Amino acid sequence: MFFKARTGIVFLLVAFLVTLLVAGCGGGGASKGEVKEVKIGNILPLSGSAAPLGKIGKEAREMAVEEINAAGGIKSLGGAKIKMIFADSKGDPATGVAEAERLITQERVALITGTYQSGVALPVSEVTERYKVPFFVPVPSEDVITERGFKYVFRLAEKTSWRNREQVKFIQDMASKFGTPVKTVALIYEDTAWGQGAAKGWEKYLGEAGLQIVLKEPYPRNSSDLTPVVLKVKQLKPDIIFLCSYVSDAALLTNTFAEHKVKPLAFIGTSGGFADPVYFKTTGDNCEYFFDISTWEPDVNRPFSKEVNEKFKQKYGYDMNAEAVKAYVAMYVIKDALERAGSLDPEAIRKALAETKLTSGVTQMYAPEIAFDESGQMIHAPLVICQFRKVDGKMERVTVWPEKDARPGWKPVWPFPGWDKK
Amino acid sequence: MARLASPRYYLPVLLILLLFALPLFVKSPYYLHIMAMVLFWAYMATAWNIVGGFAGQLSLGHGAYVAAGAYTSSLLFAYLGISPWFGMFIGGLVAGLMGFLVGYPTLRLRGAYYALATVGFAEGFRVILTNTTHIGKWKTGGAEGFMIPLLGNAPQHMQFISKVPYYYLILVLFLILVLICRWIDGSKLGYYLTALREDEDAALALGINTARVKLVAATLSAFFAGVGGVFYAQLIRYLEPNAIAGPIMSNQIVFLAIVGGRGTVLGPALGGLVLTLIGEITRVVFNQIMGLHLFLYGLLVVLFVIFKPRGLIEFLEVLWNRLVNLLERREGKHAA
Amino acid sequence: MGLLSAVVNGILMGGIYGLLALGLTLIFGIMKIINFAHGAFLMVAMILSYWLWRIMGLDPYLSIVVIIPLMFVLGYLTQRYLIKPVLDAEKDVREPIGALLLTAGLSVAIENFVLMVFGADYLMAQTSYSGASINLSGLSISVPRLYAFIATLIVTVLFYQFLNKTELGRAMRATGQDRGVALLMGINVPKVYGIAFGIGTAIAGLTGIFLIPFYYAHPTVGEVFITKAFIIVVLGGLGSVPGALVGGLLIGLVESVAAQYMTATWTAILVYFAFLVFLLFRPSGLFGSRYEW
Repeated sequence: MFFKARTGIVFLLVAFLVTLLVAGCGGGGASKGEVKEVKIGNILPLSGSAAPLGKIGKEAREMAVEEINAAGGIKSLGGAKIKMIFADSKGDPATGVAEAERLITQERVALITGTYQSGVALPVSEVTERYKVPFFVPVPSEDVITERGFKYVFRLAEKTSWRNREQVKFIQDMASKFGTPVKTVALIYEDTAWGQGAAKGWEKYLGEAGLQIVLKEPYPRNSSDLTPVVLKVKQLKPDIIFLCSYVSDAALLTNTFAEHKVKPLAFIGTSGGFADPVYFKTTGDNCEYFFDISTWEPDVNRPFSKEVNEKFKQKYGYDMNAEAVKAYVAMYVIKDALERAGSLDPEAIRKALAETKLTSGVTQMYAPEIAFDESGQMIHAPLVICQFRKVDGKMERVTVWPEKDARPGWKPVWPFPGWDKK
Repeated sequence: MARLASPRYYLPVLLILLLFALPLFVKSPYYLHIMAMVLFWAYMATAWNIVGGFAGQLSLGHGAYVAAGAYTSSLLFAYLGISPWFGMFIGGLVAGLMGFLVGYPTLRLRGAYYALATVGFAEGFRVILTNTTHIGKWKTGGAEGFMIPLLGNAPQHMQFISKVPYYYLILVLFLILVLICRWIDGSKLGYYLTALREDEDAALALGINTARVKLVAATLSAFFAGVGGVFYAQLIRYLEPNAIAGPIMSNQIVFLAIVGGRGTVLGPALGGLVLTLIGEITRVVFNQIMGLHLFLYGLLVVLFVIFKPRGLIEFLEVLWNRLVNLLERREGKHAA
Repeated sequence: MGLLSAVVNGILMGGIYGLLALGLTLIFGIMKIINFAHGAFLMVAMILSYWLWRIMGLDPYLSIVVIIPLMFVLGYLTQRYLIKPVLDAEKDVREPIGALLLTAGLSVAIENFVLMVFGADYLMAQTSYSGASINLSGLSISVPRLYAFIATLIVTVLFYQFLNKTELGRAMRATGQDRGVALLMGINVPKVYGIAFGIGTAIAGLTGIFLIPFYYAHPTVGEVFITKAFIIVVLGGLGSVPGALVGGLLIGLVESVAAQYMTATWTAILVYFAFLVFLLFRPSGLFGSRYEW
């Protein structure tokens, strides 16, 4: 016998499923002539462990799109409305690729945005480059994303290494301002793409600044116990501790530092977990006087910042974070490009994005000027340092550096006053 | 010729032809991509089945072999310019060697011990991949992942702009693997494996070198998993240790094979086809509520295990036989 | 002092790992099922305990009174209505694979159900003893971990006594050794299975309650601990009660002490591979008998 009965069943089933798929294939395809809506594809982790991060990005975009559409849509396209098509990447590269393929070839979106994770943005950018569809990246920060000579990738976020550069600048500034010499630094970071990228950046800029790295400690993400790491740091007594963690590890580290009363000059986080609102809910007072770096804070001294955040808070019940702001501002940058492109031709949109020069409007809440260099990288992504401080008895992130962005009347507390002084 | 007239012969042939003709009807790259991924999962489940089904040794760490194949071929390609067409065999061999090395100490263990040992091994391997950024002068990327250089349309390096070649490639790989499994099933090795699975002590008593037979199965299975990994690498062109070597990959493969029907030639493939499509459809349809589609997925697995313990294959065998009978009867009438 | 602190911490964490492994090894010892849903049950107890604390201000340790019986019932019902039908279909198999897959599927379903209902936020009960530590001339001991460790010792001893001294305990062991013979001897095997799965689940719940004052609950928190628990039960010997405790302590110690000499990630690699090498020499773990499973 050539084949067992079973063989046939499988193929029969395949045939059946394929028919189903093909049947679903119909439709799609933008009709020519009048443009009624602009489809924008948005890939986000909407399930899996990063789902909450994807959710806030989705909400921020929905708010922006509502506003844009209510204000008359894209005027140069006859008032066409923006229609967001959300797709779930599960935070998995292969799923992200499949969704990019679907958004481009089935939904026929004019542009793709999102992904949150750098690990998804990288393979997705290959798909968009192949189809010559613009890919607007608001959040992923891995340096390499805009360093491969791709023509259709535009990134609103800063590069990871820029954060490390600013962090080093900050400690040097503080050291001279407060007369506390800084010599040694310990690096604690998760062993993910993001953490390893940060370690690379720190090494580069700390080396240039002539500071000594006494400990380079990667740890597995979502560790069950980080006490061993904390004990090691305690032994070495570094002046500064740099941290790069997602929220569970960030909180675990903070609490374990408190338990073992580790006392450097400063603890400095690298956004991510430290920027998560859950972080200071779950560390209580332990996070007081920790520093963190980001591109935006609810209290940051910039136009529109308060108004937009207030609206967001009313709508969804919590403050925006830097990632939500980038997602929100991204929609306005895209809108601006669509206005100037005046067509749904990807080439025209790409050209318009490349020529972006936004110096007014709500995008001010993110940066005074939004423009991209030849690699598609946002040129002046502004970074601020905030400190966890008690404001009227409640823990808040207070922007303290650089001075021009700082919350009026607030100055950094340096050095770390110790655990018993809280 | 008379034999060919029987639906038992011409139906499978017809269906294979249909599979080959598919890209003539389906033009959308997205559907072709999904079909290629579906076949990839069917292929992986079938490869796992050699050790997990035929030999009855529950391996929960096949992700490690997939990663071994994918990384080997991709590194060889990126740094030595060795085409993935050759890299595919080298990657498979490296993965096979790894399967052998893992199997050698652990296959003396039985059942649960072997299963949990493979979990430990795969996790260890994943952490190593995550934390190794260089092998000598070769950059492996560590957690940042490894990008396979994009060449555009380069058939000699297994890179294509169109999805069609990928579809055919995985289809052919899949058919070859199914034929090999069919051969194993009917061969002496297959009988040894069956004996082993049913009762290891009895098999030993019959003079079967059970440790060696298990090792052969484990090595073969790892080899094919590695070859599959190379395909994945070429289709996605980005290797991320967590995605490719992590528990998600390893567990997915096992899920598919067991739901489909472990130990049968085509059950695992069937599981791969059905569950992947269900997963894909629920993900696209139910993405509004966080977690809903994975909840449904888990629930489906639970229900399958309770109500179809032998796998989907049992369910569809009935349908198939009915269809064949129907066709045969109709022909009978014609002849009369 | 650093090394001593590491040793103390290793022992405390090891105890907690051991407690989780105890539930796993019990279920395996008696039913021959690797319970992949063990981590999900741990998570359910953590979340329940958190919400009881959050809404009613109930101290997590007091919530044991409510949650442990609840977890026992949950485990019992899971066995009765989900696992039993599968086991009945696989009567002649020594190690039922279908049941294993069932628990894995169940774990996916539970985790995502919790994600749907409670969201994916990280939750931790901020009690008065969260983050508290006892300071002994530079050596700091975390209070909630110390409590968890003491609980582990108590539970292990009690449980060991229960298995060896009571009628039900003996019936459970007999069932674990050979369910066919146990059945012949008039032991109500399905009932024993239900109780075993119930107790195993309750122990997972107990671990969760002791974790919540210092560790974060979220839908996939089980995955953080479950792989370690797997290694521990194999290390200690599948089905062995003292094995779970000793295996837990061993893993805890290695993790904590080795991390003082290498990075935390290489410690993780060391744990996995040392475990494989160990299996080479003692394929059935520290206390496992070659034939008992």
